[in-house]
Amino acid sequence: MSLPASNSPVWGRLASGGLSRIQTSHLGTQMLIKRLELSKDPPATKATEIYSYFQKWERSLANEVAQLARL
Amino acid sequence: MKSPSSLVCDGTPVNGLMPVDTVADMIRAGARLSLAGRKAALDALPHGDWIGGTSPYFMTESGGRVISDKEVFVTDLAAIGDVSIGTYSAHELACISGEAPDQGFALAVIPAGSHCHTEFAQNAAAYPMAFMRPTIGWIAGYDLAEPGAQAFVYDGRAGKALSDAVAVAHVTFTDDTDALLEIVNIFGPDGGDVIHFEEAGFTPEWCQVNGQRKRFCDYVVERGREGGDLPLVGDFGGAKVNASLKSIDTAKGLVELYAPVFPGVDYAFAGPVGDYAQAFRRALATRATDDALWSCNCILNFLFGKLEGVAIGGAAGPVTFGEIAYQLLNQTMVLVRKA
Repeated sequence: MSLPASNSPVWGRLASGGLSRIQTSHLGTQMLIKRLELSKDPPATKATEIYSYFQKWERSLANEVAQLARL
Repeated sequence: MKSPSSLVCDGTPVNGLMPVDTVADMIRAGARLSLAGRKAALDALPHGDWIGGTSPYFMTESGGRVISDKEVFVTDLAAIGDVSIGTYSAHELACISGEAPDQGFALAVIPAGSHCHTEFAQNAAAYPMAFMRPTIGWIAGYDLAEPGAQAFVYDGRAGKALSDAVAVAHVTFTDDTDALLEIVNIFGPDGGDVIHFEEAGFTPEWCQVNGQRKRFCDYVVERGREGGDLPLVGDFGGAKVNASLKSIDTAKGLVELYAPVFPGVDYAFAGPVGDYAQAFRRALATRATDDALWSCNCILNFLFGKLEGVAIGGAAGPVTFGEIAYQLLNQTMVLVRKA
């Protein structure tokens, strides 16, 4: 599965709580999930950060990318 | 372990203990190195392209060791990628990941007990590029048998011991790979109380235990955990991140930790681990470590697990007063490899 485009609503859903439902054993992703959960940034800012993160690490996050469609 | 000369000549990346004289020759020949050893050994090395930190404790292929000032632990960074070296003060720590390569990692060494140590521990996860450009590394320590000893890091270009700065090697991969940071934590929550803290810090005074507010010191005593061998285990998005107990003063009601706790994180005391070496061997058996580029493990595992002279598998590396994988960790093995 390819990465959804930056304007996909999936990023907003992840920023509004969906990220915590991703099953992952990738250390950086786990720690980012907690960082964003604790962050007071607005959802739009979080959504941009999540998209940038997945774009950067897409090759290492095949299992996580495959989960995006159902979140 | 192979002899130093064979390690250099057969193409195997150097990651092991070597005589000080051999390391000095490598530096003079232009090698770009990450080093660890006693202060006297690091002070004796020539200026060059290296970073370093103090520790006499190491895990090697044949087991844990406490070394003399005749040896230094060497990792040949040039065998991993292109290397640039720098130092950062406490107000520049966000630049460690900010100036790291897009493909590769920052290897950071921080002196234990320094202002940099505290700043990094409390803020690392919030640095803007923290999860885009990963930082690994370790907290430099000292021989616990030497009263008054202090931790130092080194920027080999100046050859100077630094007590409150971060020595960093930015390593850029040249083969279109990414850095994969992994941890091996042999501890897990004991399945009992869930603990929350009200404020971030190394000395939490109050906590909520299953929703009931208690003085943290009283709770530690209530649980009989004053010995400090079992850390708090925090749930960071599924990653188990430890905060270990450094000291407890029941008269003053103070508990000091080796890493800060944070509000909004579920913590629990770790369940007991009987045989540390066996627990590491079991955990490492489920993952590839032959291609690990660099590794470190915690002094508390070394001491409480009685790992001197005991092999546990995984990659060799310094035994540290704190481990870094994106943020500060305790009682954890850290590995980095290419993916």
